[in-house]
Amino acid sequence: MQHALLMWKNTRMIVLTAVCAAIYAATLIAFKTVVPIIPGVTEVRVAGVFPMTFGFLFGPAGAWGLAIGNVIGDIFGGTLSPVSIAGFIGNFLMGYLPYALWTTLVPVSNGTYAWDAKSVRNWLTYIVIAFISGAAAAVVIGTFADAIGMVPYAIISKIITINNFIGSLIGILLLIAVFDVTKNQLRLFWPEVMDVSAANTGLKASFGAWLVAAGCILGVFGGFVPGLSWTVVSWLATCLIMGGSLLL
Amino acid sequence: MIMNLTFYNDEATWLHRLDPRTKICGVLLIFVICLCFNHPLFIVGILAGVLAIFTTAKSLKVLWKLRFLLVLLFVFSVVLWPFFIKGKTILLEWHGLEVSRESLLYGLAMGLRLTTFVSAGLLLLATTKNEEITNGLIRLGIPYPVAFALATAIRLAPTFADAGATIVQAQVSRGLDLDSKNIFSRFKRFAPLSIPIFISAMRYTNFLAMALESKGFRPDAPRTSYYEPQTTGRDWLVLGSLMLILAACLYLRLSLHWGIIISGRL
Repeated sequence: MQHALLMWKNTRMIVLTAVCAAIYAATLIAFKTVVPIIPGVTEVRVAGVFPMTFGFLFGPAGAWGLAIGNVIGDIFGGTLSPVSIAGFIGNFLMGYLPYALWTTLVPVSNGTYAWDAKSVRNWLTYIVIAFISGAAAAVVIGTFADAIGMVPYAIISKIITINNFIGSLIGILLLIAVFDVTKNQLRLFWPEVMDVSAANTGLKASFGAWLVAAGCILGVFGGFVPGLSWTVVSWLATCLIMGGSLLL
Repeated sequence: MIMNLTFYNDEATWLHRLDPRTKICGVLLIFVICLCFNHPLFIVGILAGVLAIFTTAKSLKVLWKLRFLLVLLFVFSVVLWPFFIKGKTILLEWHGLEVSRESLLYGLAMGLRLTTFVSAGLLLLATTKNEEITNGLIRLGIPYPVAFALATAIRLAPTFADAGATIVQAQVSRGLDLDSKNIFSRFKRFAPLSIPIFISAMRYTNFLAMALESKGFRPDAPRTSYYEPQTTGRDWLVLGSLMLILAACLYLRLSLHWGIIISGRL
């Protein structure tokens, strides 16, 4: 989490945050009313192709950019409500988890900030993290939306998870296309912009990564276990995800 | 041409003249007031209050613009919630699904609450310019770099939306079919389109960062502002009134147990 706070001292990262937020917001606004799933809460998110790429390439700037971009999307879309607060946290996680889990989710990850399209392991890591980050956002937003009576958790959490996961899977095309240009030509790959020499691979971070993963699995599937209510599941999963994220 | 995306309605009413901090805090207080009850009659009262404020702010036309969204929000909530809440007075039972009088009323209340939430948010957007919202957030304690990123993003979003539209039009004129009914094929076709949007935006990042650095931009430097809103007696009156209403609502809910259809839920 320390990089997410330290980045606010770096001008280039601040500009990257603004640009990521603007791209995300512009796409959200452009496609907001095209195919609404739950009006005012969620829609088919064409902008879902961006979070994994932003998170992986721009690290904390991508995470804050997605969070701010989602709020701007709500402002310009006219759907500013208390759920915008949960949307801020959820979209932050969608950008934060891709870079934070990339080196810590051992043994799935190989512990380095790198993308190689020929590596099967990289593809596997991408798919696993795409599911976790999408589900983490869904659980946090769903729990809050249910608590204030906007949409039942059992429905919204599934819709957002599937929506985010599909978007991230298609987004891999974007990552493949822009990784080299961003890293080698534009020199905007976040570990180089922030001068991060070593990847975060400590035991505490790995524990946090698996805590987040456990929270996501519980949040999406826990309610199907007889005797467990969706309300209990949603709050427990949210606690696991938030606690794990702070350890990363 | 830069797209006009704002909901701001330029009028000279008492609400427009309020300090942006008052409006932000006021909307947050209305959100909390909405959460005090889950009985439709009580929430109708709050919604009526918000609509009255809209009328005095001469901004009902902004609400009218979003009428379809508001109706959809309401209908969706009213239809969905009854199947997820259990009540004592069963009205309908079918293959394990139950609809009760209480769950129906709760669904109605949630539909009204959702409509009130969006209307209150729209009230802020209709009476406050984007720059004023950013200024208000800084004055409420949001760190300057975060507010700078927000303000820059708000300024850039229409530019990128325009660039995106140009790229899409260029591809459509070359035969790209984006009108397919299939959601997944639309999704897939958007991915290659996002690449030029992404690259052009990233080039912009380097230019903007260089421009800022060459002007000695420091994220943590102390700043002054051209726009310095002052809190007046009117601001304190508005905030005081909303606080009183909130206190009254909390008293009704917590001490007198009024305005509750389903206990244990907000």
